[in-house]
Order: sequence, then structure tokens, then C-alpha cells
Amino acid sequence: MNTSHRRWLLEQLPKWEQEQLLTADSLRVLRERYAVDESEVGLAQMVMGILGALLIGAGLIAVIGYNWDDFSRPVRLLFAFLPLLLTQLLSMRVLRGGQAIAAWLRETAALLQALATGACIALVSQFYHLGGEWPDFLFWWFLLSLPLTWVLRSNAVAIFYLTVIAVWSVNQVDHGKPWQDSPLIYPLLLLGLLPYWPGLRSRTPLPISVRWVMTLSSILGLCSAAIFVCERQGGMYGFGYDDDAFIWLWTLIAAALVLFPLNHAGIHESTGRKPQVVLGTLWLLGYGMAATFHNFNNSFTRGVSQALKLPWCWGLLAVLAAFAFLAFNQRRWSLLALASVVPLPLVAGQLSQAGIGSGSLLAWLVTLHLSIIGLMLILFDFYGSRGAPRLGALMLSMLIIARMADSHFSLLIKGFVFIAVGVAFLAFNFFMSRRHRLAAQSNS
Amino acid sequence: MKLLPWIIFSVTVLAQWAAPLFQIWTHEQVLMKGTIIKLKCSAPDPYDPLRGRFLAVRPEPTEASLPEGLKLASGSPVYITLTPGADGISTITGLSLEPPRQGTFLRVHARSSYDNKASITWPFDRFYINEKLAPEADRWFAETINSSKGIIAEVRVFQGRAVLADLVFNDKRFRDILKARIK
Repeated sequence: MNTSHRRWLLEQLPKWEQEQLLTADSLRVLRERYAVDESEVGLAQMVMGILGALLIGAGLIAVIGYNWDDFSRPVRLLFAFLPLLLTQLLSMRVLRGGQAIAAWLRETAALLQALATGACIALVSQFYHLGGEWPDFLFWWFLLSLPLTWVLRSNAVAIFYLTVIAVWSVNQVDHGKPWQDSPLIYPLLLLGLLPYWPGLRSRTPLPISVRWVMTLSSILGLCSAAIFVCERQGGMYGFGYDDDAFIWLWTLIAAALVLFPLNHAGIHESTGRKPQVVLGTLWLLGYGMAATFHNFNNSFTRGVSQALKLPWCWGLLAVLAAFAFLAFNQRRWSLLALASVVPLPLVAGQLSQAGIGSGSLLAWLVTLHLSIIGLMLILFDFYGSRGAPRLGALMLSMLIIARMADSHFSLLIKGFVFIAVGVAFLAFNFFMSRRHRLAAQSNS
Repeated sequence: MKLLPWIIFSVTVLAQWAAPLFQIWTHEQVLMKGTIIKLKCSAPDPYDPLRGRFLAVRPEPTEASLPEGLKLASGSPVYITLTPGADGISTITGLSLEPPRQGTFLRVHARSSYDNKASITWPFDRFYINEKLAPEADRWFAETINSSKGIIAEVRVFQGRAVLADLVFNDKRFRDILKARIK
């Protein structure tokens, strides 16, 4: 429970006491358990601290960009190293202060040091007219800033690091790059943040902002690696990328994100606080819906056969199998059902090769599969398991709309069907809300 | 007091100093001990959001003849031998996979190879200038682009590494020309 939730709860207690909803003992226990630590940093304070650090850092870089060629080289070197030294001293002071130091100050010190490091490297490369591309510069900058997330536990530097490694990886998708200078090292760079959790054990849950940035960074970095491994040599236009293959690799990545292992508390958090589930689900649903269209069948099944020739694909499959096993143990049925769309093109390809089914086998298979999953997600909820009835209803509605879109019915019939699906969807939503409210009332 | 955070912090601080200091030491070595070579080049005026205004230095020799039977992959490192002509301007007179035993040589990367020739990427491509001088540099470049004399890049070369020391036009330092123009 975060600070704002605790504050809300504590504000309600006097009212509940007045209404005699709780006993004096219960009130005392709640007040002790959900006490607010007033030394904890507020969001506004944190934002102001980070903003200040960003402004100072950006100002420093702009001052350097001016190029003070009237000054001698030693003086200009002082410009480069003095801010670095000052920010390092500030970080040292913060580190010595330990837990007593306010979080906003810790964040500010770490971010300032990271920015001063970048400014220093930039200034030195300006002195000597060094060439090179900006991704090379970024690479050294984020490597030299990474340890600040470990020692100062800075979320701001973690966000900076995650953003920059994603930008770097996207930029490295280039023909002829050696593997060590390509997005293939992205998983290693991401693992570099592991010590951010001291001893690999989380003291506090990651803030929602870091979760979103981490998910987006993972998507960009891993998808860049997928494109990189799908480079196609030869052909009429020289080299290129096999888009059929990397689209399936992206789907494997989406499934891995959806099934990413979580602890007990993480599983029971709301979906909105799990961006990897939100974004992974969106891709899997989009991929599943696209696979129900007959005209995508050939490219989807061909993509799988091409992707399976790549070692990177087998690595992803191994990770996905491990995640699926853990999800099975944790009974995350809804997400497992959703991820089960991944092997369907493989199954359809094998069946087609064996002479079973026509060229549109995949479309029928996925339509049937998603229909069953949609129904099951609804039924799980009715039988008391942890289901996702609204997601199930959404899947069924989307399937009906998709089939209408590629059918030969007149616009009038399509229009009536769309209206009927819309009304049914709203009615279902109303019914589910009422059902949950009644269930809550009967429980209380 | 926990020791591990302090160890990591100390190593980080050292690395943050070592990275730029190593760059400074390497390039100072080249500037102090390097042989000066002159290359004809063009130099339009673009912008780097982090490092400010610079002239994009494009040395004119961009190709080197490949020795018989040598095939190069894109991006592979090679050594080029630079020899000054009668006018003092250096040209590429050799290319090899190993550093040559004699002469002034430079480590570069091959961009592509075709018809027994390799196109190369020079290890320097920018000359940073003061923000105040940059617009004047742009105007000056537009006026002198068709001059037969051309802009000369003075480069220090030492043990295969190069540092761009200065740009010269008509035997005058580039910064001096620009400063005189804006007075």
C-alpha cells in the first residue's frame, strides 16, 4: 500500500470510529500498521529535485556546447572535471548519510553525477575533435552511470539508463555490425540493473514509472535484437530483414512479458500496475486477431519456420517455457491461455505439411482457439476461479467484428451485427458489475 | 557502515575519471609526438546537440587501392600509408591489414570494397568551433566552396592514431580567418 493509500485510510478512521464500524482495538492496530512515515518523500518534492538536476545537467552540456575557445586547454579541462568532482562529493555525502538522507536528495545527487559524467566525456571529445557517432558516446555514458543505480538506489538514473539502452539498441540495428556492438547485448545490459534490487531481493516494489519505462525499454531492446537476427542476405535488393520471422519473435517476446514471473504480492496487484501484462496482452490479442484473417496465414506460418532456424529464437523459446512453467505453478490461467496463441502458427504449419487442412487452417484454428479462451475466461469467473470475464467478452466481440469485416454480408447486416455486439458488450459489462457488487454485499 | 556500496561507488568514481583522462592522455600523446600530415577536405557546418557546433570534416581521399587478392568485409580495420606530395598534401599510397613497417600510417575502417578499391572511414570527421563563429563559418564556406585552393586539415598521426589539429585555408588558421571576418 503506498503512502497516498495509507493517508486515505487514516483519514477515514475517525469517521468509521464515529459510526462505530470498528472497535478501539481494531482502530489502534490499523493506525499502527498503516502509519505514514512523514519523512517519506512526496511526489512533488521528488519531481522538483529531478527537474532541478536535469536543468543543471542540461545547462552544463549547453555551456560546454558553446565551445569556449578563448580559454586555454587546462582551463577548459577544469570546466569538464570540476562539475564531475562536485557531484561526486555530493553523492559521497548522500551515501554517508544513508537512510537519514531524503530520497529526493539521493535522486538529485545521482542524476547530477550521471549528467556531469556525460558532460565531461562530451567536453573531452570536443577538445580533441573526436569523431564517432552519438550512440558510441551514449554507450560509455550509460555504462559509467549504471553503478549509481546500485549504490544510490536512484530511480531517476535507472529510468535514464533504461531509456538510453533502448535508444542505443534501436540504433544498432544495422547491417554488418558485430554481435558485441549490436542489440544482441541488450539482455545483458538489462541484467545490469539486477543489483538495483540489493541481494536480488526487493525491499520495496518498483515505482510504477520505473515499471513502465522498464517494460517499454525491454520491448524496444528485445524487438531490436529480433530484427537484427532476422537479417536476410542476398536477393534483389541486397540485404534486408525477414519481417515474417521477426513478427513471430516479437510475439514470443510479448508472451514472455505477459508470463514474466512475479511474486505473490505482484500477482495480486491490479493489472494497471503491471505494464508488461498490459502491453504484452495488447500485442498477443492483435497478433491473434490478425491470424484469424486468411490472407495473413502464409506469411505467419512461413515466419515461424524461418524463425526456428535462428538460435536466438530457441533461446527465447527456452525462456518462455521456463516462464510458462512458473505461471502454471502459480495458476495464472488467464495469462497462460492468452500466451497459448504463440504455438498456433507452428501447429498449423506442421498440420499443413502433413496434408491436413487447407491454406486457411491457421485462421480457423486461431478463431476456434480464441473463442474457447474467451468463453473460458468468462466461465472461470462464474465458477469462482480468478478469471478475466471482461477480457473474454472483449475477445469474443473482436472475433465477431473480425469475421464481419472479412465476410461478404451487406453493410446493413454488418451494421446490425455491430450494434448487437455493442449492446451485448455493454449489457455484459453491466451484468458483471452488478454481480460483483452483489457478491461483495453478500460477503460483508 | 556497509562496505560494498562504498567499494562500488569508489570504482565508479575512478572509472568516471579514468575514461576521460585516458582519452586526454591518448590524444595528447598523438599531438605531442605525432607527425603532421595535411589533407585536402571540405567542411560544411552542422550541429551536435551534446557537443555544439562543428565543421563536418570530409577528407578528399576516400578510396584506397586494394593489394592483389585482398578481400575486405565492411567495417574491418585496415592500415593506410599516407605520403606527402610536392605540394605538401598527403595522399593514400598503400593499404594493408597489418601496420606497415615504414612511413606514416593510420588505422581506419573499410566501408566497402569493389573493383580492387576500398572506400574508407576516416577516424576524424568533425572540427568543433565556437557557437559565435559557426554562422560565419557557414557563410565563409559557401563563398569559398569553389576555390581551387581548398581547405586543408592538419592532422597529427602517431602509431596509427590521428588527432585533427587544425583547419587551414590559404596558409591561415581557420579560427583566425573567422575571427577577422566578424570583427
